[in-house]
Amino acid sequence: MFNTIGNAVFFIGDCTLFVGEVIRLGIKEKPSLHEIAEQTWRVSMQSLSTTALAGFFVGAIMTVQFTMQIQQFGALGYLGGLSTSGTIREIGPLLIAFMLSGKVGAFTSAELGTMKVTEQLDAIRCLGSSPIREIILPRYIAIILSSFFLLAIGLLMSIGGGLLLGMFFSGINHEEYLRHIPTIVAWPSILIGLFKCLVFSIILASICTYRGYTTTGGAKGVGLAVVNTAVATMIGIVIADWLTSYICEALQSYFLGV
Amino acid sequence: MASPAIELRKVSMVFSGNEYVLRDVDILVAEGEKLVLIGPSGEGKSVLLKLIGGILVPSSGEVIIKGKNLNRISKQERDEVLRSMGMLFQKNALFDSLTSAENIAFPMREVLGASEEEIENKINLFLNAVGIPQARELFPDEISGGMQKRLGIARALALNPEIILYDDPTAGLDPITSRMIIQLIKDLQKEKNSTLVAITNDMMRAYQLADRIAMIVDGELIITGNEKETKAHKDPRVKQFISGLLEGPLTELN
Repeated sequence: MFNTIGNAVFFIGDCTLFVGEVIRLGIKEKPSLHEIAEQTWRVSMQSLSTTALAGFFVGAIMTVQFTMQIQQFGALGYLGGLSTSGTIREIGPLLIAFMLSGKVGAFTSAELGTMKVTEQLDAIRCLGSSPIREIILPRYIAIILSSFFLLAIGLLMSIGGGLLLGMFFSGINHEEYLRHIPTIVAWPSILIGLFKCLVFSIILASICTYRGYTTTGGAKGVGLAVVNTAVATMIGIVIADWLTSYICEALQSYFLGV
Repeated sequence: MASPAIELRKVSMVFSGNEYVLRDVDILVAEGEKLVLIGPSGEGKSVLLKLIGGILVPSSGEVIIKGKNLNRISKQERDEVLRSMGMLFQKNALFDSLTSAENIAFPMREVLGASEEEIENKINLFLNAVGIPQARELFPDEISGGMQKRLGIARALALNPEIILYDDPTAGLDPITSRMIIQLIKDLQKEKNSTLVAITNDMMRAYQLADRIAMIVDGELIITGNEKETKAHKDPRVKQFISGLLEGPLTELN
């Protein structure tokens, strides 16, 4: 028990120092835009199909759930707005983070871990360069940028999924479904969604690059790094979701009184 | 002796636990000299090379490269010193997501910021120099072990280093390819009169390459001298190692 707590404290502390170094280098030395663009494209394309598919079904699920709840009040006209608002505020960012964690997080920690144990990162250091600048930083930024792009795709697909189910399951037409989206999905919801997306992607990028970078011990070490990344990101994201929801609600009621 | 390119002063290295991998190692390597490190596996030869290459930091002592103490200079100066060195890793450490040409281009593009035209010319030059122009567009896992070694050498030479470190350049290669690789290393060294530190446990190759041989055992560095002096060395550990005898102080230690 104490050992687990000790390991967790060490993990958080060491990971924070590592992220500090990544940020310091990111500010001090201009990262390669070409490399960032390449990595962003790769990360986005890697997760595009699964995110789109998951987004479509999340929209569909939300629509079915809301239909059952609100049709008894005769408020089906608000279905599109409620379903989209729920997706953008809560499910969308969480879903994107889990998708990225499963695909990009695992891939990045395995890739970096393999580079570490095969001395490829040492080879960069030996060339008088920094593996954090050359390898970690572009991936770190790319994961954050891609998560916004994937959030947008996921949301569009969720609207599509919701709309389709709204038409065929709930029996409302597309105009009715789309009409209240702009009124219910207000700026606070969009900002909260974007903020959550940013926080989750930072957690994911930090954990997967850190675990990859600190891998030791050959193939077994790489396997452990991937497993640790999956577990730590899931826990980190769920805790951050609770925390950001709490903070956002508090800020919203303080500033907007709602 | 010419001015030293590499100087180690009382260098010790301790990893986790309290066991010394290296203890108070002192050595001077002159400019243009070819030093070969020999010694039983797991005795710290690669650690010593990584200390020189700036990948590891010694627990105590000083690593001085071209008059500059690696641990007492600014990061910028340190990077400059490291750029004057090239290293071939034991398992090559080639970038497996890059082609052979991109592996050679990487240090020139990322470290020197050279123009694409210059990089293109250098890629052709280095691939021809190490004799693998046909591997240009192939990835490291698509070429043979010998070709990977040659590619590793080409990448180590890409920044025109004055000091080159080779960690077991003939590991896992057949005797003919090994001999060819050593000859290639010698030719390339002669061309630039660069300083060379290499690790090998193949005594034939060590004699073929070295101006001077040193053995690492029990954390201690024993300078055994040139081929003749090494063969006549009185230390029983050196004698046992170079003759490959099963009985002697090295096997008694285990």
